Amino acid sequence: MTDSKPLPEINADNRVFWEKCREHVLTLQKCTDCGEFRNPPAFLCPGCLSRSAEWTPVSGKGSIYTFAVYHTAFHPGFKEEVPYVTAVVALAEGPRMMSNIVECPPENVFCGMPVEVTWRDADDLFSIPLFRPA
Amino acid sequence: MHAVCALESGLCRYVLLSYGHSGRSGDSMMRMLAGMTGNDAVYGHFGAAGGYALAAQRAMHEMETGPETWKHIASGQRAWAGLNPDAMLHKRPLSEQEYLDSPYMIEPFRLHDNCLVSDGGRACILTTTERARNLPHPVVSIMGMGQHNPSADLLNADFLAGATGARQAGEQAFAMAQITTGDIDACQIYDCFTYTVEVTLQDYGFFAPGEGRTWFSGGTIAPGGRMPVNTSGGQLAEAYYMGLTPLTEAVMQLMGRCGNRQLGPETRTKTPGIILCSDNGAILQTHACYILRRY
Repeated sequence: MTDSKPLPEINADNRVFWEKCREHVLTLQKCTDCGEFRNPPAFLCPGCLSRSAEWTPVSGKGSIYTFAVYHTAFHPGFKEEVPYVTAVVALAEGPRMMSNIVECPPENVFCGMPVEVTWRDADDLFSIPLFRPA
Repeated sequence: MHAVCALESGLCRYVLLSYGHSGRSGDSMMRMLAGMTGNDAVYGHFGAAGGYALAAQRAMHEMETGPETWKHIASGQRAWAGLNPDAMLHKRPLSEQEYLDSPYMIEPFRLHDNCLVSDGGRACILTTTERARNLPHPVVSIMGMGQHNPSADLLNADFLAGATGARQAGEQAFAMAQITTGDIDACQIYDCFTYTVEVTLQDYGFFAPGEGRTWFSGGTIAPGGRMPVNTSGGQLAEAYYMGLTPLTEAVMQLMGRCGNRQLGPETRTKTPGIILCSDNGAILQTHACYILRRY
């Protein structure tokens, strides 16, 4: 079952992230030298440049850093969704990630709003992490 | 900046800066915009508008800004386009109320917060002042320039609401020119979105964070205003030619080649001796500032 929205392109950096998403576990790289979490995935720690990191589950909790409300769909897969909300979510562990805010009317979304992860199963291979009010 | 290095080192005698694109009639601009969000397209995050909307929303959270500020920018630049027969939105005046009544595209941006997609181009030739003196046009020289590129990482950026790269690039350019904002007669600001104009002028020091709404109100940037901005209509109302929209307009204004929109008595503005212009890239992630003067 495919829902016609774009799917992620997998590369060596992000493969584990999306594999864990399939299990509905939000997982980030954690530097094993300085202990910092990071996102987007990368082969070096942006803080200390260490190459060693471990994929570590995170709480799935955070708050909205900023957001935008789409009144136009630029991809046919989102036509039925407008108005929909994209957001930069600041995870409790530090890094931010792009996502959507769901289960909340767009006019009620605000910067700083506490949110938690929820999942959309896009097809047999991919589950997409979304956020809803916590 | 590269062109100046090439001229100063003697590698070149003349450097052509050019931009041309069939952005409107072809599909390459839309393809570029669709590709620029990478895997974040999974969430329906699209193009430059999606990124700048995120920046503008954050700015609304951190300081006093929003549609009541941006309406002055959209309508002021549109008034300049009314004096420019080459502008795509020539003779299409925009009142502040019409701006507020226009539909949201990617909120907080309405239709008129967005720049145009255009067919066309602009070009500019750089050479040394010595050579330029023997050429037919008046000489326009570079007083100062600066560049600052804060980060490639947008998600974790702390500059979306300012200070953007304009802060440091502006400081470098003003230091090189040995002048201050009070010496500037007009500005040509990279205006992919209305908010970009606000945050850029704010970071250059024309007003304090959140004071843009007052600074822009009353026709400050429009014909007859005390600080004309984007006098061709800019990317919002003339045409989108990347950084060459502002740069070439500054050069032509200083040369006195701008017809009905020429700064000076005709447009009830100061005859310009010094014009500041900006360019920026990605989502406020790269920035260049140039201060030009009539030689």
